[in-house]
Amino acid sequence: MQDRTWRKINIGLLVAIVLVNLYTMLLPAIPALRYWWQAGHSKTKVTATVEQYVKATTPQANSEQSTPTEDMSGNRLIIPRMLMNTKIVEGPTSNPYGNLKKGAWRLPFSSTPDKGGNTVIAGHRFTYTESRSIFYYLDKLQVGDEIGVQWNGTTYTYKVVSTSVVPPTETSVQAATDDNRLTLYTCTPVWNPKNRLVVVAKPIGVNE
Amino acid sequence: MSEKTKFWMLAVLLALSIGLLVYLFQATQNAPL
Repeated sequence: MQDRTWRKINIGLLVAIVLVNLYTMLLPAIPALRYWWQAGHSKTKVTATVEQYVKATTPQANSEQSTPTEDMSGNRLIIPRMLMNTKIVEGPTSNPYGNLKKGAWRLPFSSTPDKGGNTVIAGHRFTYTESRSIFYYLDKLQVGDEIGVQWNGTTYTYKVVSTSVVPPTETSVQAATDDNRLTLYTCTPVWNPKNRLVVVAKPIGVNE
Repeated sequence: MSEKTKFWMLAVLLALSIGLLVYLFQATQNAPL
């Protein structure tokens, strides 16, 4: 083969190397750009109350926001600040990876909103197969933000009282509590997920 | 350096880059969170 042909092949290889590595490096940041865009342009504001957000994201109320085929049944977690209205996944602790792949997983040994105590929901922050994992935006939550849990037809509303970063050995965040609370947690930071980002919310209302 | 030598170096680099991406796909999918 001529030198010129080799040079063309080499340029092609170089472009492929640059593209593959750019993809590898930039994929974790793409959801952050998406949030910036969505938060600024979505009809539903990130500062909406749970009630407003549920109305805006149910297919009957606004067909543009949700496709008619979207399954809105079951127990759901609603967080306007994270532009999220998602199904709560139930599953055994023997299959954590399988449950986390499906979405926001309520830890089966934790409580439920109707029983009081500590309801714990965990989710992935980032995976290469699904870059905007369910709790990618958990760091956007601020003290005072509303979180809703639709549980067996009743909507429980919570207000964020604290956000913290703890080491993965700090399992006390999952422990049962005397008070009624909702604990959400995921990995942090996105690029080097060595710690856990924990959000604790306290109940402020129940809507039958 | 001949173009043929450069080709083999770039081919190895591309293989390593793709290998790293495949590893990250696998590793993050089975990450604890």
